[in-house]
Amino acid sequence: MGKARRPVQIVILVLIVILGGYAISTAVSGGGSGKPQSGDKPPAIKLLGLDGDVHTLEDYKGKAVVINFWATWCTYCVNEMPALQAQWKKWQDQGVVVLGINTGEDEMTVRNFAQQLGVDFPILYDSDNEVVQDYGVVPMPTTFFVDKKGKIASIHEGELNLATLDDQIKQLVNP
Amino acid sequence: MIKNTKCECGHQNRVGTVLCEACGKPLDEHGDANELLEMRYDGAARRSQRANPNFIDKIWNFFSSVKVAIYLIIFTLIGAMFGTIFEQESNFVNFDPSTFYKDKYGTLGDIYYKLGLSHTYESWWFVLLLVMIGASLVICSLDRVLPLYKALSKQKIRKHMQFLTRQKVVYQGTIGEDEAEWVGQAVKPLKKKGYRIYTDGSALLAEKQRFSRWGPYVIHIGLIIFLLAVLFRGLPGLNVDKHYWFPEGEITKIPDSNLYLKNEKFTVEYYSEEEMSEGFRRTGKIVPKLFETKAVLYECSADCDDPSKEPQLREVERHDIRVNDPLDYKGFKAYQFDFDLTPKLRSVKPVLVNVETGEQYGKFQLDMSNPQQEYQLGPYTLELKNKYMDFSLNEQGQPISKSKDPNAPAFLFVIKGPDLPDEGSQYIYFPKQIDKERFQQDAINEKLGGLQSKLALDVVGMEDVDFIQSSSYLNIRVDRVMPFVWLGLGIVMLGLVMGFYWHHRRIWLRVDDGVLTLGAHTAKNWFGLRREVASFLKTMNVEVDEKQLENGGNRS
Repeated sequence: MGKARRPVQIVILVLIVILGGYAISTAVSGGGSGKPQSGDKPPAIKLLGLDGDVHTLEDYKGKAVVINFWATWCTYCVNEMPALQAQWKKWQDQGVVVLGINTGEDEMTVRNFAQQLGVDFPILYDSDNEVVQDYGVVPMPTTFFVDKKGKIASIHEGELNLATLDDQIKQLVNP
Repeated sequence: MIKNTKCECGHQNRVGTVLCEACGKPLDEHGDANELLEMRYDGAARRSQRANPNFIDKIWNFFSSVKVAIYLIIFTLIGAMFGTIFEQESNFVNFDPSTFYKDKYGTLGDIYYKLGLSHTYESWWFVLLLVMIGASLVICSLDRVLPLYKALSKQKIRKHMQFLTRQKVVYQGTIGEDEAEWVGQAVKPLKKKGYRIYTDGSALLAEKQRFSRWGPYVIHIGLIIFLLAVLFRGLPGLNVDKHYWFPEGEITKIPDSNLYLKNEKFTVEYYSEEEMSEGFRRTGKIVPKLFETKAVLYECSADCDDPSKEPQLREVERHDIRVNDPLDYKGFKAYQFDFDLTPKLRSVKPVLVNVETGEQYGKFQLDMSNPQQEYQLGPYTLELKNKYMDFSLNEQGQPISKSKDPNAPAFLFVIKGPDLPDEGSQYIYFPKQIDKERFQQDAINEKLGGLQSKLALDVVGMEDVDFIQSSSYLNIRVDRVMPFVWLGLGIVMLGLVMGFYWHHRRIWLRVDDGVLTLGAHTAKNWFGLRREVASFLKTMNVEVDEKQLENGGNRS
């Protein structure tokens, strides 16, 4: 007697530490339901693109991804579109993808807009506003910079200009 | 200090044993020899009691202490008490906590907020307290229930004389008969009272309702399930509490689920003047009597995960959602929360008319969202080139949309047909009369040229205008943890009933040289036990007053 109890004690204490640690860590991190932060894995995306194909983040595994949330009625988004297009042209050969996620507008509006501005990076429709909610986007535009390891490197709220965008992408490519 | 734990009967007891595990002789020789016995856990040692505790034993001992458990519970209660009195930040969507607490609760509230306690239930220390209570529940129970179980399942029938005489209910007296025969006769009346009888020559043990001893441990199991359920409510998918808008007549997807909800009709009724009391009428408030959303819930049955296809929906539930009467589908609940009666344009059915002759070329449906791109009306073809839901002009004078809501919709068509240029003529159309005037549709069209005011789009009657009359704001809730909470509470109840309504009673007796010694023990209702013992002795022709059975020891 006595010897067999030791493993039982250890198993129970370990279980308490694991379960308790999990409960406390989820409580501290706000139940895990909050916005994604820098260093987090970006929430999954599965959306129809302007090109008629379905795009997911897995499609761009190993690449640096710039996820931009925009709408045609948001002036700042419209203003920064040419910068995004220019940087996409510049960096696409170095494993950088720009994803423009339109927030809840219909096909015609988006298509006309993309044509008008000559945007040719992938534009995705978030027609149910699901991805916007998963990413916790409040102000528009909001841009997420995801590094090649698939972690959010930084989040930018508001308009981006050519220089800051270039800077951010440079950091993604050569960290 | 090494203590000799060997009893005089030859049994080797574990450290911490109070009463010999075999014969029941009190092992602590220092105590008053007439004192009542400590009968908790039948005198068995708690599992954690060891001669040389190491580090793990010390942790174990800490949690196995009831005193520690009580302090943990007190701290938790104090935290929860203040958390209930002072509203928690998580209750609010939009407010400024830095002023709220001071304004509402004064300085005390401000201190509470500044101590960072306004997030009590999500704080690490509160959850840690709960986890520690959980640990204490598990360890306390294990530490006591196993020794108790062992002690009760291998009880020796013949107990040490002191064990009997130091019980709370004791009888000693001479009986002039044959010892074994007397014990044999005692079996029947005790059985009649529901006891299970074990005999060993001239010794006897009668016992009933032992299961009630497990009551407290059953309560603990229930509490552990309850605690686990509460602590792991945050796991993804187990608990959802969100609010969404559902425009009337539209099928709206519920995010992060494969469910879609259609708000078929939303109605709100207000109390009329006559229905209100005098006092209330004077306040001038308008109070809704009923708000109701006729909702249909659909589940996606195919093509759910492919955004390039339309999902195929299957109706699964239909319910008129009212306040406190939610739609409930397998634990998915939709509660009425708010509404918005601002109408929104859904579609119009304009006709193409020749302005000069008044000739009409047909009617078509123009949806605000995802409209068809080409319309054939008589000899004319209308191509929709662009649309602006909230029409405005930017600084460069270009048409833009200010938002995605159809506040001031405008549609830019290219019309082709007889008497028109081959490349077609541009025509802008504002479905709302007010926008037509505000933005001067005719002037814009004149500038766009081509049509020379020959053709126009016009809505003939109100029946050709389709509005989303209102939107209903529903609270979507999923709480998959509730069944476990109820299960836990159910088990707690079972344990309470076990422990409260039945009492473990034991009667030991032995006859030595014609002298009967009887001791009896229970955890509750000593009065009942005394009475039972007295009536048993009476059937055995031993007259004794109930009160005389009470042992005059000084332990209550």
